[in-house]
Amino acid sequence: MSRTDAEVRVGAVAYHPRIVTIWEAFLEHFDREGMPTDYILYSNYERLVEAVLAGEVEIGWNTNTAFVALEQQLGAQARILGMRDIDARFATLIVTRRGEAFGEVGELAGKRLALGSGDSGHAAILPLHYLDEQGLDAASECELVRFDTDLGKHGDTGDSELRVIRAVAEGAADAGALGEPTLAAFRAERVPAVFDLEVAWRSPTYYHCNFTALPSLDDALAQRWEGALMAMSYDDERMRQAMDLEGVKRWLRGDRTGYRSLAAAMSEG
Amino acid sequence: MSPRRLEAGELELGGGLEVLLAAALEGMPAGARVEVITPSRSTALELPSWAHASGHQAVSERAVPGGPYAVELERGPFARVLADPLPEKRPGPRLRDGELHTADLRSPAEVPAQADPAAGFTPLGALAERGAPAFRWTLNERDALWADDVSELTEQASAGQWDASRDIPWEAARGLPEFLERAVSQVMTFIAQNEYGALYVPAGFLADVNPAYPEMLQWLSSHVHDEARHVEVFTKRSLIGGQPSYALASTELSLHTLLDERDFSGAALLLNVLGEGTFLDLLRFLEHYAPDAATRAAAALAHRDEVRHVHFGISHVRRHIATDPDQTAALIGAAERRAGKLTEMSGLSPLLTEGLTVMAAGSLQPAELARGAREVRELMQTMEDNRIKRLRAAGFDQRDAQHLSDLHTPNLM
Ligand SMILES: [Fe+2]
Ligand SMILES: [Fe+2]
Repeated sequence: MSRTDAEVRVGAVAYHPRIVTIWEAFLEHFDREGMPTDYILYSNYERLVEAVLAGEVEIGWNTNTAFVALEQQLGAQARILGMRDIDARFATLIVTRRGEAFGEVGELAGKRLALGSGDSGHAAILPLHYLDEQGLDAASECELVRFDTDLGKHGDTGDSELRVIRAVAEGAADAGALGEPTLAAFRAERVPAVFDLEVAWRSPTYYHCNFTALPSLDDALAQRWEGALMAMSYDDERMRQAMDLEGVKRWLRGDRTGYRSLAAAMSEG
Repeated sequence: MSPRRLEAGELELGGGLEVLLAAALEGMPAGARVEVITPSRSTALELPSWAHASGHQAVSERAVPGGPYAVELERGPFARVLADPLPEKRPGPRLRDGELHTADLRSPAEVPAQADPAAGFTPLGALAERGAPAFRWTLNERDALWADDVSELTEQASAGQWDASRDIPWEAARGLPEFLERAVSQVMTFIAQNEYGALYVPAGFLADVNPAYPEMLQWLSSHVHDEARHVEVFTKRSLIGGQPSYALASTELSLHTLLDERDFSGAALLLNVLGEGTFLDLLRFLEHYAPDAATRAAAALAHRDEVRHVHFGISHVRRHIATDPDQTAALIGAAERRAGKLTEMSGLSPLLTEGLTVMAAGSLQPAELARGAREVRELMQTMEDNRIKRLRAAGFDQRDAQHLSDLHTPNLM
């Protein structure tokens, strides 16, 4: 099928080959919903943000970090066209070796804290921010052990978080931060290092990815596209595999309430 | 209504708690809640991640310092498997003196007349989840495949397995006189060549059969396995004496036309009824005139298997014709098509008939050779008589049976 008649182009970051599988299935869904859509892949979120700002794509499938950066560059509020169910209740966990969990975050002072890629909201920026809110300036009081292995992809690959939990399990760090769904995925995959760890801390919840458009996007088109997205069902056998790969069971209409902490953290930083 | 409570005890996520949780939530309606009580703060902190990844919600947490901790989960709206709910438990199949026979897994009426060509590998009794990739099976009709005793024949095949390396007294085959070894080797090579044909025909259909007919898959697999062992045993018999021989082009031509038949019932007639049927008489002959115990054992064991293959063919063709009398003409057509491709074949190769004659004579003395030649002529007559009997048993009238037998004459298999 020719995609040249697409009314909407969605930009996404190719953090894994499965992105193609996901979007090929999504395009068929948008076709069935009468909302012809195409996708364009970028190798990193900085390029994707540029592409949205330049009008190269109408919609960007952004991480929270990319979304906040986009709004900062835009100097105005962007338009949010939906998010995954897990994006609305994301949290960061801090793990330690078994039996070495801390009670208060202050006990982490002087310890080695492993973090994922520096541009990852959930594996680096937000844990530092929330620890700071709770009274621990980890950047100066802890020895930070950083794994910047998927910079530009904002932690999407999970690789930096895998290194975080291995570092903790092997004793190269005393504690480590990772996204809640990442730990669930490691558990499901039976990653051995996870068995040596316990969860010591859970951050407040915040928002993660969203579909972002410029405020200038035509209202009617935005609503049609969002409606088509919301119509995607996990009970549709044609979509279940792609939705599992994308980590979504239900699409939600987004709002901006869950990005305040990250926006604050990124303007401090 | 207060939520159900689930005591996690010492169980952790990844250590068995997830099994308890999944079982509890599976049986609950969407929106119902369960309160998980755990002494572990780590587990309490991790439970929301498990719940969200599993399509449920963590709705509240009571994080009492020092524990125990309570995390309330709400069952999400999604079914874990995209299929209808499992039917009620029912009594399992009957046993025969402790044995579970394939024929007792379902009644004949439960074998579907038509199977979905796109269906996947769904074992009997299981429910297929939606969303699996589609296959394109080509053999999707019961009546095009079935034989009423197919399951019983498969049981016999499993029970009658033998070993071509160990069950043959190979030592006995060494040291025959050269003229005799040459004759035996040529006949064994001819048979092995034909066993290839008998292997490739069912193997060619096997992967086209809709998985809704596991009885057929088991039968065809046993057939393929039997023929692989026949190729093995007759090849080994030809090799054991160190005497090479020819794989003849005329035999190849005959087998080539056998593999051309792409209709399952047509192939059952040509291979199982006519070809393997004729081989029954040939193997009996070899068993009788084998100059050594190894050749005799190979012929006898292969004969035992061929009886099953022929039985299937007769049973299938008879059922096929009975279900649809128009099939008679189609089946005769298959034999005529094959014969039409073999017009240049004038009968059996002299190398084969000479080999059989020498085996029957056991000597190169004129009187013995004359007797051997007579035995071979009688074999041909026996083959024809029995072919007609089998064709009659398969449901053809006398005239059609004679016609089919005549068409088959230039081939053995
Ligand atoms: Fe055979
Ligand atoms: Fe056979």
